[in-house]
Amino acid sequence: MDLLQLSNHLVASVSEEKEMGWNIFFYSGLTMAIVLVFATMAKKGLTSRVYTYLPTRAAEHLYLFLEGMTVNVIGPQGKKYVPFLLAIWTFIFVGNIMGLLLPATPTADWSLNIAMAIITVVYVQYEGIKQNGLLGHIKHFSGPKLGGAMIVVSGLIFVVEIVSECMKLVSLSLRLYGNIEGGHIVRSSLDSIVAGIPIGGVLLPIKFFTCIIQAFVWSILTCTYLSIATSHGHDDEHEESHSDHGHSALAEPAHA
Amino acid sequence: MESIAVGIGLAVGIAGLGVGIGQGLAANGGLQGMARQPEAAKQINNSMLLALVFLELVFLLTFVLGFLLMGKIH
Repeated sequence: MDLLQLSNHLVASVSEEKEMGWNIFFYSGLTMAIVLVFATMAKKGLTSRVYTYLPTRAAEHLYLFLEGMTVNVIGPQGKKYVPFLLAIWTFIFVGNIMGLLLPATPTADWSLNIAMAIITVVYVQYEGIKQNGLLGHIKHFSGPKLGGAMIVVSGLIFVVEIVSECMKLVSLSLRLYGNIEGGHIVRSSLDSIVAGIPIGGVLLPIKFFTCIIQAFVWSILTCTYLSIATSHGHDDEHEESHSDHGHSALAEPAHA
Repeated sequence: MESIAVGIGLAVGIAGLGVGIGQGLAANGGLQGMARQPEAAKQINNSMLLALVFLELVFLLTFVLGFLLMGKIH
């Protein structure tokens, strides 16, 4: 109920302030178009053994960067999650960059962010169920195995975990929304100090930095959630040694 | 109405102060750890970024609260 009120407030205030309204469809569609064009261009260069086409090389570097991060957080078995993270990264990055050049940004609208957060959290749950089975996944929520009368504590942990799972939606979406929209508000209030002179332009470098950081933060948080949801309770040690083994071999080229 | 405006300013300012100190401490610890043990730099970097992100959320919640309160000033 509180979440619903908050969303109504946010949607109302955003549409009052900037009259985003239906424009969100145009801007998110434009973002998707840019991402798709970039992906198509990158795919065109996959012809030789050494990539010489610039978009392909950029995509390769992006992939290696995200793969290194994923292997670092989840371990080598996390490589199958890289496509999702890459999609999220590029979409958020392009959407954020749009705010530097165009009058509006899709990621400065809370509705798109909550949609992306729902997709992320549902995907994490899906992968957790796929990895541990439905029962194992639910058991995951109740913390470590406690015997006897401690089952009450397990129940409490279960409730807390469910609440924190729902709060992931709020925290993920509000983080992106607050960062991007906050930058816009600061810029427009700086612009309005002297009429006709866009003083807010001095913020562009730090806003560009924020764009990259926010895209990175969303993907590293997804990574962390995935590593929590897909880990097995009992063979942690095995996974630990495995990931250490793969780490030096795989994570190295990411920063080469 | 003026009290709401003063409240928004105070809330965002104090939240910025606290979160700035907190993030500075986290970055201090992380950077010192990375300088002392460069071979663990990647893992420390990831953990430090996570800590910074969660600290920043506190400020963003205050920011959203201020944003909501701003709608009450007419």
